Amino acid sequence: MISFWRVIKFGFQNFWRNPWLSLATVFTFALTLFVISIFFFLVLVTQTVTKAIEEKMDLVVYLQDEAKEAEILQLEEAIRNFPGVKSVKYISKEEAYEIWQAMPTSERIKQLVTPEKNPLPRSLQIKVEKPEILEEVSNYVSGAKWQPLIQEKGISYLRNKLIIQRLTNITKFVKKIGLILAIIFLAISILVIFNTVRLTIISRKDEIEIQRLVGAKNSFIQGPFLVEGVLYGFLATILSTFFIYLLLRYTSPLILQYLGEVSFDLKQFFTSNLFRIFVVQFLIGVFVGGLCSLVSVRKYLKI
Amino acid sequence: MIRPLIDIQKVSKHYGQIRALSRVSFAIHKGEFVCLVGPSGAGKTTLIRLLTCEEKPTFGRILVGNRDIHLLPKREIPLYRRKIGVVFQDYKLLPTKTVYENVAYALEVSGEPTKVIKERVPKILELVGLSGRANNYPDELSGGEKQRTSLARALVHKPHILIADEPTGNLDPATSWEIINLLFQINKKGTTVLLATHDREIVNALRKRVVGLKGGKLIYDKKRGKYIV
Repeated sequence: MISFWRVIKFGFQNFWRNPWLSLATVFTFALTLFVISIFFFLVLVTQTVTKAIEEKMDLVVYLQDEAKEAEILQLEEAIRNFPGVKSVKYISKEEAYEIWQAMPTSERIKQLVTPEKNPLPRSLQIKVEKPEILEEVSNYVSGAKWQPLIQEKGISYLRNKLIIQRLTNITKFVKKIGLILAIIFLAISILVIFNTVRLTIISRKDEIEIQRLVGAKNSFIQGPFLVEGVLYGFLATILSTFFIYLLLRYTSPLILQYLGEVSFDLKQFFTSNLFRIFVVQFLIGVFVGGLCSLVSVRKYLKI
Repeated sequence: MIRPLIDIQKVSKHYGQIRALSRVSFAIHKGEFVCLVGPSGAGKTTLIRLLTCEEKPTFGRILVGNRDIHLLPKREIPLYRRKIGVVFQDYKLLPTKTVYENVAYALEVSGEPTKVIKERVPKILELVGLSGRANNYPDELSGGEKQRTSLARALVHKPHILIADEPTGNLDPATSWEIINLLFQINKKGTTVLLATHDREIVNALRKRVVGLKGGKLIYDKKRGKYIV
């Protein structure tokens, strides 16, 4: 038991009495954690954003004013039964007027449309499960059978085809590559941390030899290094979380502005996940720090 | 006949083609003061590294207290090292610990209670004349002070055997004599001392047993001997 407290004490002592070396190690460690976190964060944000975009990616079909209600119902039914279609919503002229009035535009523009003089067309709003379906649905709707019901250039997908396809590609890419990149990145980071801790310990090779010659058991030599490694991990986590906080605090308004349409609140996302981010970093930091120091000391404990 | 404390039996140590020690045999009895002499490369340090269990002999064996120290299981080596005290030419002090902590460390490794440490360390520091330097770090000390710290550390756990490997190698003559006098006193109190040195003047003045090595071979062993190698 007394050895246990001594091991802890020596661990802290080693840390404080090599302040520059310890500080350098903690900073490298913190930066690595920071970069990993930011990367994971970006993957997470991109995924959330692309998901949000996918949700938003719908198809609007604008109907001719002359089209009969019964025919429209038929079309609506046909689309609803189309595989991959989540929902179809009919927007009447009155509803279109309300939507128009609710839009954040100037009064002058709003007054262009009145219930009596309403040029807004009726429409069908179609939501799909996967963006790939959009094309199939729009091809189907633009077929000869339904053409008389639909306004000229009245299918939103065809107007936005290019941008939708690009977004779809990006989403696919992020999903596929994100995970692989994350793993590679994590491996590199662990190697960097490992190397930093190892160098710190190599610089104290002589001390380990002396300790052995005085009759210290291996556990008594390793212990303080383990404590030190865990301490590196712990301080690095605090530092890195602080960096992340600063970064998001100053950049999130910009990002928010940029992603405005997606209405994704990064800062809120961060604050609600702050604790989780901290815990994950802490676990990685403490585990990697401790493990690295154990592995590195081991080398000098042979004989 | 009393069993010797250290019994070196036909010990050879080869490093590849180099024969650092060839069939060296001699025994040291409890309470003896033995000078191990010889020029650089004679095998003094190799012999000491064998005694501290840092290396294993290629042939032969070394018995300490009637146990072959190179057959000790790995986990018992630290326990064996706690029974001997070693002083090195380059002091081997822990740079991040103060004089007091360096000496205390030798007790801390064997799990001595703090009370014992607080009692014994100041006493031993007084013995080597370092009471005023207890809170200094090694790089704030002179060579003689470093060596006295190293000596205090080697003695604080009351070892049966004190091994000193060229303890005066880096010191001026006056400081060297301070260290040798300390070794002498320690020996008077009953600790067996093995002093490896190539300082002719010291060896001749001590008039103690001298064991001479040359080219890895034992060439001289005489009570009240002289440095003749």
